[in-house]
Amino acid sequence: MTPTEDFVWKVAGAAGEGIMTTGLLFSKTCARHGWYIFDYTEYPSLIRGGHNTYQVAAGKNPIYSQKEKVDLLIALNQDGIEQHQEEVGENSLLVFDQEHQKIEIEKYNLAAKLIDLPMVRLAKEAGGEELMANNVALGASVYLLGLDLDVLNQVIADVFADKGQKVIAPNQQAARAGYNFVKKQTQPQLSISKQSSNHLTMTGNEAVALGAIAGGLQFYAAYPMTPSSSILHYLAKNAHTAKIVVKHAEDEISVINMAIGASFAGARAMVGTSGGGFCLMVEALGMAGITELPIVIFEGQRPGPALGLPTWTDQGDLKFVISASHGEFPRFVLVPGDAQEAFEMTRKALILAETYQTPVIILSDKYLAESRFTINLATTTFTNGRFGIAATPTADKTGFFPRYKLGDSPVSSRSLPGTAGGVYIANSDDHDEYGLSSEESSMRTNQVDKRNRKLELMRSEIPKQFWEEEPQSVLTFISFGSTKGTIKSAREILTKEGILTNHLNLSWLWPCPKEQIKQVLDNSKNTVVVEGNSEGQLVNLIAQETGIIIKNRLNRYDGRPFYPEEIVDYAKSSV
Amino acid sequence: MPKVPFDPTWCPGCGNYAIWASLKKGLVDAGNPAEKTVIFYDVGCSGNMTNFNTYYGFHTLHGRALPTAVGTKLANHGLTVVVVIGDGGCYGEGGTHLINLMRGNHDITVIVHNNHRYSLTTGQTSPTTEKGDKTKSTPEGAIEEPINPIAIALSNHGTFVAREFAPDINRLSSRITQAIKHPGFSLIDTLQPCPVFNPHQSLEWYRERLIKLEDEGHSPDNLNDAWKQAMRIDKLPIGLFYEEVKPAYHEQVTELKDGPLVAKSIETIDLSILLEEFK
Repeated sequence: MTPTEDFVWKVAGAAGEGIMTTGLLFSKTCARHGWYIFDYTEYPSLIRGGHNTYQVAAGKNPIYSQKEKVDLLIALNQDGIEQHQEEVGENSLLVFDQEHQKIEIEKYNLAAKLIDLPMVRLAKEAGGEELMANNVALGASVYLLGLDLDVLNQVIADVFADKGQKVIAPNQQAARAGYNFVKKQTQPQLSISKQSSNHLTMTGNEAVALGAIAGGLQFYAAYPMTPSSSILHYLAKNAHTAKIVVKHAEDEISVINMAIGASFAGARAMVGTSGGGFCLMVEALGMAGITELPIVIFEGQRPGPALGLPTWTDQGDLKFVISASHGEFPRFVLVPGDAQEAFEMTRKALILAETYQTPVIILSDKYLAESRFTINLATTTFTNGRFGIAATPTADKTGFFPRYKLGDSPVSSRSLPGTAGGVYIANSDDHDEYGLSSEESSMRTNQVDKRNRKLELMRSEIPKQFWEEEPQSVLTFISFGSTKGTIKSAREILTKEGILTNHLNLSWLWPCPKEQIKQVLDNSKNTVVVEGNSEGQLVNLIAQETGIIIKNRLNRYDGRPFYPEEIVDYAKSSV
Repeated sequence: MPKVPFDPTWCPGCGNYAIWASLKKGLVDAGNPAEKTVIFYDVGCSGNMTNFNTYYGFHTLHGRALPTAVGTKLANHGLTVVVVIGDGGCYGEGGTHLINLMRGNHDITVIVHNNHRYSLTTGQTSPTTEKGDKTKSTPEGAIEEPINPIAIALSNHGTFVAREFAPDINRLSSRITQAIKHPGFSLIDTLQPCPVFNPHQSLEWYRERLIKLEDEGHSPDNLNDAWKQAMRIDKLPIGLFYEEVKPAYHEQVTELKDGPLVAKSIETIDLSILLEEFK
């Protein structure tokens, strides 16, 4: 029995075997021990069949990423061993069901300790169905890792609360059977200490949805597309509690135009999609720009172009979201690095969109969107002001309100339909101060300048970017978005091995925090940009904004996230 | 400085003048406060009406006046929402929206300026162009058959389905008033001469073909009879084909039962109930 500060647990099997629920139950069990978690799932674009995994990295201290090596692997079928045999080492445990799966275990050269657990038989004996074999495995996991069975049973009761005791009881009995079976065979392999905490565990997407609600979201429209759909599901399920309207429209074009219509009427509006759906939204993105209406767009990246790899992760849409649309207008592009940032930045996004009357894009990716993180909220109550809305607009002698007034501030006061004295046109054509179409040379120039001048004000919103440094650093990592945690994990390993590094992670990419980037580059001798695309889009953006071309690049574009181990290997080979 | 709003820029003899006059009269006769009326303009000759009215307006992207209007209605269902759109925008570029918004019975009034041509872009074929018509994009004659908007609406849950003829201002304006008062999706397919790019379908052409549904003894509560009238090829019936009162979309959204979305305060948001499931 070894006291431990962290471990990685994984369940692997066929789609449709309840792997997502099993993973969630285990993750919550860890979190309720006061431990930090980071969950990651892999699945193909299928409903049945195909190979699914759910992996939980848990730790006494904050966990920022997944690892390649697994401490306890539950293989629900032979593929669960076949596809993950490289991930288990001599200190790992491998749980499988020889009786049910008839696995040729001897054909694998496995160093791991093997635990043959008759999951299906025990599930049936416990009065459950075959699917409850997963709970047998959960009970065994809890014993082997030194966790508390009562905590697991409480999690089962809470997660299945709406299904009633007839579902809860056999699930708990199956867990107990798994626990007792391995208890007779072996000692717990780890021991962990419980901590008291108020951790919440949620996916990046759930954090986005809650952040949006906290930021006063009123109208959300979407069309299903991985990895954004879970925001739609969450908001639709909770629309009544959150007092919002959620619309699943007929296509992404309708989605964004509806949201812009809602914004025009005064509702805080947001849409969610992935790269392909965003392609369809781009014309309307420009309309929000020229009509100066607030809109927040969530774009969860997956590998493209076209259908690409629908259920995998990627960071290949950066240059697209920064420059999407014909014509010119200002926008924010925010790229949260973890669930905590996803919550805070989505809340902020709704405020920024209204303040600057322009689109805000939240760029996420599958790794952040669907992984489950530990987050902490200092408060559960949030207050929202309203910005730039004329409560009592006054029309001039024309009968119109000068909504696009050219004045000292590029952000002009807007009126909402329904308000007397505020009549104006939100015009997709370029326009005069009332919104009436104008092709006159100086008016066009003035209105373009008005919109563009907002960008300079928007720069003042850029916060200090995530920056960690060591005085004796030999290497500086630059990354954006969800690669943040992986590099944090890698740096912890490197520090233990005596290799000191710096890390700049960018979560605001437009307007670009070029001064902060430049300062880091000016003081760094050896810099590498780590990004999940093939072209080096962040490298190119930095070159465009600072004039500095960074030569060292670590790119991954196979749909998988970066793992700390490969970052560590890179660092060792480069210093 | 030009006069505000602007004077129309349509060609002499354009049907848009009559639709414009009918819309203004129809809105006044509907009796809603002017500031609580919003007009969504699509792109085309009809969309140029954006600059001629003193109402809250939104000149949208091509084909997208429909979803934009719905977004506004869902955010503030206290508003009267009217869409001014052409045959290209409504039946071509925005065809998917038309079909789906009718399914939802969104409470908006859609006035389609149907001149069977893309006239702002100088006269190409449109979804309602007669098969065989020679246009700039179909110099040997249009190969496709024209869309039957009335039949599409009848087969797809349209709850107020009408066709009118632009030059009859009294008739069209009262139909617009009636459509605004209808609590659900209203479609008025408005036949409109375009003497410049579609001289063939002239006033005379229409006069030879138009008949009034009320003269045929048609009752707008009879869907089967509406179908028969919609499928006629001997004559071109105008009038109200079908009307049915069903709950509008916003009336079926639980969150909107106690008032418009924009009236709800976002000043203080308490997440404590929502956070329970993440513990």
